[in-house]
Amino acid sequence: MFCLSDKKIDDQQLKQQTLDPSAGGFVCFEGWVRDNNQGKDVQKLAYESYPILAVKEGNKIIAETYEKFDIKKAYCTHRVGLLEIGDMAVWVGVSAAHRDAAYKASRFILDEVKSRVPIWKNETWTDGESGWVEQES
Amino acid sequence: MIHLEILFFGKLKEIWNTKKLTMQTTSSNIEELYTELLTKASEVPHKASIKVAINDEFVDWNSQLKDNDSIAFLPPASGG
Repeated sequence: MFCLSDKKIDDQQLKQQTLDPSAGGFVCFEGWVRDNNQGKDVQKLAYESYPILAVKEGNKIIAETYEKFDIKKAYCTHRVGLLEIGDMAVWVGVSAAHRDAAYKASRFILDEVKSRVPIWKNETWTDGESGWVEQES
Repeated sequence: MIHLEILFFGKLKEIWNTKKLTMQTTSSNIEELYTELLTKASEVPHKASIKVAINDEFVDWNSQLKDNDSIAFLPPASGG
């Protein structure tokens, strides 16, 4: 399941949802707000989304993940709104019988979410200026 | 004439200086509508990178418009 959250991501609850008795492991990725980007010192950022379409597209990605990889459960939550340095911006978790599928599936979810889900990052830099971040790797 | 709601997101809000507008138009598809909207834009965006949606579904640029459709113009995603 894919969700947007305008509050701090509850990673412990997400982990509990991802656990599965038939899984032999769990891979998690947390994306955090860092204090620098593309050569600029970042003070804070805001994520804007197109909520209905973001949730639809995010859940399409999760459905594709279940088709492509031999996994048990997959969850992804992305923050929206104002975030400070160190805040968790995105959480991806996948449980699977074996590690290879869990690693690959978590990477797939994050890559697809970054490129396809309509969410946009607006950074405020320490010089007081702000701007939309175009694309990142 | 048809009546449309237009939504802009991210950087495109700044180019059109609004996040939402309503308009009457004779444009019959997204491509024509976009050309019409360019007259209101402060700069010409990189069209190839823009995605479009009608009524909360991604669509192609040649998609037909209907009365009361909600059209969204989306710059490249930058989440994560």
